[in-house]
Amino acid sequence: MIMQPKTVGLILSILLFSSCEKTIDPNLQSASPVLVVEAWLNNKPEKQIIQLTKTQPYFDASTPAGVSGATVLVIDDLNNAFTFNDDGTNSGTYQWTPLTGQSFGAVGRKYALTVQVNGETFQSFSEMKRTTPVDSITFMVKPDFQFPDDSYIAEFWATDQIGSGDTYWIKAYKNGVPLNKPSEIVVAFDAGFSGGGDFDGVTFIPPIRNAINPIDADPKNSNVNLPPYVNGDSVYVEIHSITLEAFDHLQQVIIQTQRSGGFGALFARPIENVSTNIFNSNPKGSAVAGFFNISAVKGKGKKFVK
Amino acid sequence: MNRLLLVTLFGCTSLISIAQKHTLSGYIKDASSGEALIGATLFIKEANAGAVANAYGFYSITVPSASYTVIYSFVGFEKIEKQITLESDQRIDIELRVEATQLSEVVVSAKEDPLGKVQSTEMSTQELDIRTIRKIPAFLGEVDVIKALQTLPGISTVGEGASGYNSRGGSVGQNLILLDEAPVYNSSHMLGFFSVFNPDAVIDTKLYKGAIPAQFGGRLSSILDVRMKEGNSKKFETTGGIGTIFSRLAFEGPILKNKGSFIVAARRSYIDVLARPFVKVLKDGGALNFYDLTAKANYNFSERDRIYLSGYFGRDNFLFSKDQGFSWGNETATVRWNHLFNRKLFSNITGVYSEYSYKLQFGDDDRNKFKWNSAITNYILKPSMTYFINSNNELSFGGEAIYYYFIPANTMGVTNGEARNLSLAKKYNLETSLYASNIQHLGSKVSLEYGLRFSQFRAYGPDTIYNYNDTIPGIRRVPKSFSVYKSGQMISQFNNLQPRFSAKFQINEVSSLKGSYNRMVQYLHLISNTTASNPLDVWTPTSNNILPEIGDQYALGYFRTIGKNHGWEASVESYFRTTQNQVDYIPGADLLINKFLEGDLLSGKGRAYGLEFYLHKKTGRLNGWVSYTLAKTELQVNGINNRDWYPTRYDQRHNLKVTAFYEINKRWSASANFAFMSGTPATFPTSRYYENGILIPYDAYNSRNNVRVPAYHRLDVSLRLEGKREKKGKVRKNHDYWVFSIYNVYARQNPFSIYFAQDDKRVPPGQPIQSYAKQVSIIGSMVPSFSYNFTF
Repeated sequence: MIMQPKTVGLILSILLFSSCEKTIDPNLQSASPVLVVEAWLNNKPEKQIIQLTKTQPYFDASTPAGVSGATVLVIDDLNNAFTFNDDGTNSGTYQWTPLTGQSFGAVGRKYALTVQVNGETFQSFSEMKRTTPVDSITFMVKPDFQFPDDSYIAEFWATDQIGSGDTYWIKAYKNGVPLNKPSEIVVAFDAGFSGGGDFDGVTFIPPIRNAINPIDADPKNSNVNLPPYVNGDSVYVEIHSITLEAFDHLQQVIIQTQRSGGFGALFARPIENVSTNIFNSNPKGSAVAGFFNISAVKGKGKKFVK
Repeated sequence: MNRLLLVTLFGCTSLISIAQKHTLSGYIKDASSGEALIGATLFIKEANAGAVANAYGFYSITVPSASYTVIYSFVGFEKIEKQITLESDQRIDIELRVEATQLSEVVVSAKEDPLGKVQSTEMSTQELDIRTIRKIPAFLGEVDVIKALQTLPGISTVGEGASGYNSRGGSVGQNLILLDEAPVYNSSHMLGFFSVFNPDAVIDTKLYKGAIPAQFGGRLSSILDVRMKEGNSKKFETTGGIGTIFSRLAFEGPILKNKGSFIVAARRSYIDVLARPFVKVLKDGGALNFYDLTAKANYNFSERDRIYLSGYFGRDNFLFSKDQGFSWGNETATVRWNHLFNRKLFSNITGVYSEYSYKLQFGDDDRNKFKWNSAITNYILKPSMTYFINSNNELSFGGEAIYYYFIPANTMGVTNGEARNLSLAKKYNLETSLYASNIQHLGSKVSLEYGLRFSQFRAYGPDTIYNYNDTIPGIRRVPKSFSVYKSGQMISQFNNLQPRFSAKFQINEVSSLKGSYNRMVQYLHLISNTTASNPLDVWTPTSNNILPEIGDQYALGYFRTIGKNHGWEASVESYFRTTQNQVDYIPGADLLINKFLEGDLLSGKGRAYGLEFYLHKKTGRLNGWVSYTLAKTELQVNGINNRDWYPTRYDQRHNLKVTAFYEINKRWSASANFAFMSGTPATFPTSRYYENGILIPYDAYNSRNNVRVPAYHRLDVSLRLEGKREKKGKVRKNHDYWVFSIYNVYARQNPFSIYFAQDDKRVPPGQPIQSYAKQVSIIGSMVPSFSYNFTF
């Protein structure tokens, strides 16, 4: 969405009244755990991980139970097989480790994932799409009502590949720490926000370029945010190619996880399960959640020196 | 078609009498201002027959020649009894005076109302005049037509701040809101906190929740007919007020004495002006304000002709810097020409222009900016005739042609100096309707109102029409083929017949039984999947991919008056409504600036039923009403909730409202308003899981609206102090009053919704994340306010 509901609330609260909220502890229906396949792979020269876990009750903040004893295999359309082996920690972590100089997958290849566990077979298909490089990163003082006056705002500059329908996930790291709050998920369709527009082959639009600035409340005053970057901080930006299904999926993740209270509640969308591209080969078999996607990644970093 | 209808309807009317008959007709007006008294009645004692003044104050009744006692009356006005010898057609224009005994507006007269709720064939309708609306305690003291309606049975809302209202289980987009016959597509200022109708310019509102007459069409659930004041035709008057949010000023007066009048009324919010020095966003050029201008004029060209011009212009501005932000608003214009062909045949032709539009702009420099606007525009021509055949038959017929012009999105994006036009194709539609209906009295016990409306909806080019693939319901459909249509080429056409019927059986003088059936068809769909409708929501027309919504409603009611002076009015109504082709949305639907929007829509069925109780004490120092509704509203959509029926977001089992007015003494009066509503539905997840370090909620049952938020209740009170009527022994020329009000007296934090989210703290990768549920209250405290109002 173009405007954060928080902003709406901020402006509305000028009007003598404001909304309020409290944490509650409702009883939720109990449900049997469901298999979760978290298979977000990429072509960075590093260990690739597929995580098999089970859903847990909504308020259960313990480490989710891993699913061991599965056979996890990825095959490409040239019949190359990549076996993901259980790392033996009982955490449901299955890994494939590249040889020196090797990385996972290639742009344009298609992939099939097969997970065999407890007598059931789960499958998924995906494709590694092309990505685009980050040309440069700048830090500039810009008026932005979310940040204190005179804050330096980071901006990355990159151009969408020519040809309509490229979908990307922009990931940023501040001083090596990933910006992974729900509000920091940024996906792009060509150089814009969604497929409805036609931003093919141009520089990413400003709200995407600027979406690499962490919004963290000042610990001393929660009504004010900290400047996103100060002298000495570094930022690293990666552009991950994703499939159209993954783009739709992440858009649903954004809707379901970027929940804000206050006046934003007026414009909340219903709670729904996000899509999955993993299916049980037996349609009457047990349910499954999660996603399979393989990204090509390009990235660039910069240290902020005034 | 139309001719055939007329012949049939004429055939149905009772035999045309050979006895010598004459017509008594004219206008009923307010003696002090010259305003038409809509709904004023006359009653002919000896003939035991009556008539009601229409929306322009005109009445006509035809009875055999004789001498009669005719009583003209209207609630709150002194009745006039006239001896009339009707030997030829007579025109009698009557002016009624506000009751002298009335200490203030709080006391409603106990006049016998021969055509009140019990006697008329109408059911499922509610009328609120502006004097009553003004007395209801209002949020921040701002008198609000839409909020006042919510005290009536069958009318609800998802919560504070939500735009519009829900009528008998219909969605916000299924109400046709008319301001002097012009459709108002967004009835709210500042999201849904205030409504666009300026109380200084409104005289009367009438809400049809069911048994909708054939003259209205186009929406499934209800018609809200808001009539603007004509302006004082006797003297110049200035009315105004200073409130917490708005300041208002209205000026009205005669054009030529008793020939015509005008009113101009304006409002503006000013809190942002006061807050500017203290708020950073506002200091930097941001703004949050809204204003509206309402004006009307009328002129009597001859005994038989009168022209009315009215218009509205309103805008909300919501800027977070000088050139960034958005604004939205309605503009309407109505021209009406009343013509009396003869004493029995009243005609009116209305021309309307109406537009709702919004505009957004982002970006701080010319190399990087985004502009977006959207609009729905219509031009309407609506001729209507009423033929007062005799005292037993009143025939109405006419037609309506609406030309729609949609701009779903006109967008221009510039990124790093490169511009892209992202606009969507405009849409052109024509909706034409013909209708006829007759109110017929069969003896003294039975009255019928039967009618038929035929409507046709066409889409015209230029446009590109897509055909979508079939897929698992709930998944985005993608276009598989398309066809291009040239300018003016007809793309699709839909025809619908909409029967309307209601009947009344008079049990005795004080009670009656009524039943009705009506079919409504809606060709425009409000595309909105958020809890409350928001200003960016777009209306989209019926097309090859979206079928017209169709609703059938059955209602049964018992009406009676209680007390010697019929000072109490009571009714019980039950309704049952089924709907087809209700619009719903796939998960993750992309509703704005989406060329393939139709691929993200789902279609389903609805059913709603309810029981409404209403008790209204109209007289005495203590008066007011109690309304209680027991209701259920559900949808069934393939792709949602495993295709099982699920409650709508605005489904409320119990809805109780108590509105009371009390006159303490000549200067002080008090009013109170209490509301209790069952909690609205919500969806709760059962489970959670991680993906990429993000906590995702999961519902193992894939359900929708499976739980309820806690109940809502609230009390509001207000006190009104009349200014002194005399100063130093002299009568003051001006009249003023103060209103002090408290909204949510016991500061209850009413739940609006419950949301589920992960902890907002930054958590290192791999560490478990806390999740929580939070209950949101839109207004979580007591809200006091005051206003000062004057007339001189």
